[in-house]
Amino acid sequence: MIEVQNLTKTFNGKTVLKNVSFEVKEGEIFGYLGPNGAGKTTTLRIILGLLNPTSGNAFVMGQNLGLDENEALRNKVGVLLEDDGVYDRLSAYENLDYYAQLYGLSDRIERKRRIRELLDYVGLSDRINDKVGRFSKGMRRKLALARAIVHKPEVLFLDEPSSGLDPEAQIMVRDLILQLSEEMGVTIFLNSHDLDEVQRICTKIAILQSGEIKAHDTVKNLREKMDKPRVEITLSDSKDAEKALNILNSLDFVSVSDCERDDSRITAVIRNEKSSTILSVLMRNGIVVEEIKWVTKSLEDVYLDIVQKGREQNE
Amino acid sequence: MNKIWVVAKKEMKGIIKTRSQMLVGIFFAVWFSVITAVGVKTVEESAVFDQFNNLLFYFVLMLGIFMAYLFSGRVFFNEKREGIIETLLCTPLSLREIWSGKVVGITIPAYLIALLTAALITIIANIFSTSMLLPSPAIVLHVFLVVPAFIAAAAGLLGFGHFLLGMRENQILNTTIFFVIFLALFFTKNVIGGVYVFSWVAIGAMLVVAMLLLALTTYLTRYLNKERIVTTIP
Repeated sequence: MIEVQNLTKTFNGKTVLKNVSFEVKEGEIFGYLGPNGAGKTTTLRIILGLLNPTSGNAFVMGQNLGLDENEALRNKVGVLLEDDGVYDRLSAYENLDYYAQLYGLSDRIERKRRIRELLDYVGLSDRINDKVGRFSKGMRRKLALARAIVHKPEVLFLDEPSSGLDPEAQIMVRDLILQLSEEMGVTIFLNSHDLDEVQRICTKIAILQSGEIKAHDTVKNLREKMDKPRVEITLSDSKDAEKALNILNSLDFVSVSDCERDDSRITAVIRNEKSSTILSVLMRNGIVVEEIKWVTKSLEDVYLDIVQKGREQNE
Repeated sequence: MNKIWVVAKKEMKGIIKTRSQMLVGIFFAVWFSVITAVGVKTVEESAVFDQFNNLLFYFVLMLGIFMAYLFSGRVFFNEKREGIIETLLCTPLSLREIWSGKVVGITIPAYLIALLTAALITIIANIFSTSMLLPSPAIVLHVFLVVPAFIAAAAGLLGFGHFLLGMRENQILNTTIFFVIFLALFFTKNVIGGVYVFSWVAIGAMLVVAMLLLALTTYLTRYLNKERIVTTIP
């Protein structure tokens, strides 16, 4: 559905994207992550045909969105960029009606029905005739989201869709994205900083740093790849922590460098299926263990690890 | 054409809803019409007809261009400054369709204000004149053909500039154009005492110039591209 091949972009001699490649299959929700200035927006702009790549290609449904002759293809694409793309002087209804007409929805009654349905969904039906200039940031974002899907696109590009929204509205956005993907088969490209949101809804992610893709896989696979098996041991008495740490360091299946102590809690990276051995060794040495559990890395941990490694490589 | 008209309608709606801008436009139309048309009472009876036509020739055109300048700031410049243009560029419209829609959307209200000015000048001049004053056929042609063509050309060129240039360059351009138009409007007062008689040839030449300007502007839009617009958004 979306195919990016060896994309490179240079601005005034500075390379902001280096051989970026990834693929998003039909119906997938693809999360595109990276720190500020990594090149996420540049990638998005190239895919949307707003910027020309220095080299490489970006295709949506096998075609280049930037070419004028591919106007019909843009009818199948919905876009929510950093800017909401709505007009302050027009009402919520007028804004949606304008975009609906631009996307070729010529039947006035059908447009009216669709606009009311969308405004109802995003919770703005009581503000239908209010000028957008009077809306809060969150309300504008909701309206912008409705604008992006007014023409029922097959592919949806979202740049920070939850930005400026309250928690309730964030859940609404998340549910809407899932609904679009699951019920209507819409392919979604999500540019986001909200790792929790990405973890909950994305089927696949790519992490971009300094213009290069550092990781590209499903959330599950990335976590498995990046995550070493770790156990967290909570001791009954914090005074035993030093002794426990020394014992753990003496065990050959525990990675000494990854042993961390925080008051009575010790986190150790160990080879798989050895937690029972740790427990028995500690108990033999008179240390009372209150709790021992496996801990897994969140997407945030994985993301931070990748970004940190990338920084170290660049330095 | 349909999508161009959709853009044009939206721009017109936006201009009309921007009350401050409409009021400024109407204020200038009324104010300049009054201060210039009242001047016919100081002109000798034999020269009144020529001076009245001079006034219509020069002033309606200048005010129409001034309105195009005023509205293009909102339609092109603000849309770029606020970043809305980026979303618009993702819709199934070509860059030329967007540009054309905006030019039409500016030209119609700017021309309506120019027509209002022509009507006001005619009414006020007749109030202060002892004889009945009506525009010559050449001036009628000028008002109905040359003026809208010049307004469209001005809106097109300004829009081209707003799309092409960065924010700072645009601000410099806007300030410069404002002073040039304002000085030209004040210069209108001098034509009251002039002896120019605008002939069919002069009007025909003006029409040719307007058409050439429109053609040039349309040609220039070939050099507009999305990357240039997007990379000059602040």
